[in-house]
Amino acid sequence: MNLNEKLQILADSAKYDASCSSSGSKRTSSLGNTHIAGICHSFASDGRCISLLKILLTNICIFDCKYCLNRRSNNIKRAIFTPEEICEITINFYRRNYIEGLFLSSGIINSPDYTMELLIKTVSLLRNKYHFGGYIHAKSIPGASDYLLKKLGSLVDRLSANIELPTENGLKLLAPNKDMHKVDHIMGYVRDNRSRNYVPAGQSTQMIIGATHETDLDIMTKSENMYNNYKLKRVFYSAYISVNKDALLPSLNIPPLKRENRLYQADWLLRYYNFKVSDLLDQDSPNFNILVDPKVSWSLKHLDEYPKEVTTCSYNELLKVPGIGITSAKRIIKSRSHFQLTFADLKKMGVVLKRANYFITCNGKYNINSELFNKKFIEANLVLEDRKENAEENMHQLRLFHE
Amino acid sequence: MNNVYIYDGSFINLLNLLYYLLKNNIRPTNIKKKGYLGSLFDYLIELDLRKINKSDALIKKLGKTVIHHIYYVYLSEEENKEIIIYYYLLNYFKYGPNLNKMRNLKCVSETLRISKKVGNEAHKMKGFIRFKELKNNILYASFAPDNNVLEIVSLHFKKRLANEYWLIKDEKRKIISIYDKKDFYILNEEMFNISEYILSDNELEMVNLWQTFYNTIGIKERKNPRCQMNFMPKKYWPYIIEMSGENEKSC
Repeated sequence: MNLNEKLQILADSAKYDASCSSSGSKRTSSLGNTHIAGICHSFASDGRCISLLKILLTNICIFDCKYCLNRRSNNIKRAIFTPEEICEITINFYRRNYIEGLFLSSGIINSPDYTMELLIKTVSLLRNKYHFGGYIHAKSIPGASDYLLKKLGSLVDRLSANIELPTENGLKLLAPNKDMHKVDHIMGYVRDNRSRNYVPAGQSTQMIIGATHETDLDIMTKSENMYNNYKLKRVFYSAYISVNKDALLPSLNIPPLKRENRLYQADWLLRYYNFKVSDLLDQDSPNFNILVDPKVSWSLKHLDEYPKEVTTCSYNELLKVPGIGITSAKRIIKSRSHFQLTFADLKKMGVVLKRANYFITCNGKYNINSELFNKKFIEANLVLEDRKENAEENMHQLRLFHE
Repeated sequence: MNNVYIYDGSFINLLNLLYYLLKNNIRPTNIKKKGYLGSLFDYLIELDLRKINKSDALIKKLGKTVIHHIYYVYLSEEENKEIIIYYYLLNYFKYGPNLNKMRNLKCVSETLRISKKVGNEAHKMKGFIRFKELKNNILYASFAPDNNVLEIVSLHFKKRLANEYWLIKDEKRKIISIYDKKDFYILNEEMFNISEYILSDNELEMVNLWQTFYNTIGIKERKNPRCQMNFMPKKYWPYIIEMSGENEKSC
């Protein structure tokens, strides 16, 4: 099998991993360095950023997870890279500025320790023989020994272990070989050992959305716990795509992309907007409203607290207004002591007025007819706004699946 | 009469001119690069700017942030960038470092907007530039950015590809950045002309591998060309090796 064929097979098997970020690390070497903000080098046909060479070391796997393309029981072409081959491709791509670094994952070959040793061998060659200073994100293999975890973490920028499903029941059903405690163990280990020389860019994980019956509340609660307990940098959500036929799996024609989108929006609210999951979801409404984003949804529920006066309300209150983000909230706070704000100024600062209009006053002025300040009117308008923004994308998605 | 001050297009002399104008309380109608033809009512004034020799003093006085913004505006192709910088500095001497918070002033919001635009394009180019390996191991890239970001990206690659010889050519401005493993120099294209670029032996193989990877990594069930194009505008495609064939296909 030539290198091109191998690359094709092992990139194809790796593409369902959502993570491709290359930020959060400061490293320099004779060949390459990392950029603190990360750099996107290209964008794939699905619009996702390509920053790292995302490949598996091998797609041979002793596990039989129902949702996974590489499961043991699937009859697909298998391939395995040698560590030297991975180095050759990585270095050549990096010098040509195709990539920011390597994202190396693997199916489990022979045993977790054996697989982990192969990953370490590859990464160690890159760092020590080629003096590669670019970004490396490696997947750790659940069940591997701690000393291997220690070694791998000291060579890479980011380490991750995918939790895949938010509840143990879900995991038992679809990934009988996987053990949630082993993933927990990795996350705990990385949290306790993280330093400038050990996984400097932190750890992340991923969950599949829509393969089981778990609610958004289950998913977001899991995320919140992981952010709090393991100081994760990111949780990625990946809309389930039917790659396998199995009685236990839903047969979805269209991946639940809108749901995935709402989960990402909520994830942002948790990490940057000081929201808690309990603010957004509860047992009575355990799923997000698919029609509007979670922040709008929250604001509509708390309409009695609005409108907020932007010239006096707190940073935290500003953050919770739909159409105001972190940047614009900071700009408002910074500048409002220097001059009197107007709606035009707000627009200049990046506030999305077509959403924020309903929820704010500026110097006591409400920008639209105040008689229209009622939930039904606002909700209808915001649903429409959301739809307009997504219309083209949705149309395209629909067309694709009707073909 | 419109008083239009002329400078040679260099940042140093723009600073010299700005110093002179601000110091002497002169309100120019416009400031333009040499070669500006002017209209019927324009009165063109060209001073001996080297003599003023105040650019260093001005840089010191203004500090890092302000210089960063006005330098980035200077690198843009904005029609009236010089006069925007003039008004920005005029207000800076009036209000001091708080100026950047006063986005209600047009010169401030414009300066910050343009500076951000240039910074964003430079950041994009750090990702989109594609090197080809030539026969003698030299890496060669060409691109055509909207703004003059060659120096910014050169600084980036000086750190990143410190142990390589590389060349980056700006096709729009006909300038080329040359790195000799120590520092880079930006020259006019005529001063440095390679008539033929011979590719190294494994160059085509690497391009092929990259093309394979690129075509494989997209998930077809999630195909989203609009999103792809938002992030990677078509104007850059001719210089992005995995996209350069796409232009003909989709048109």
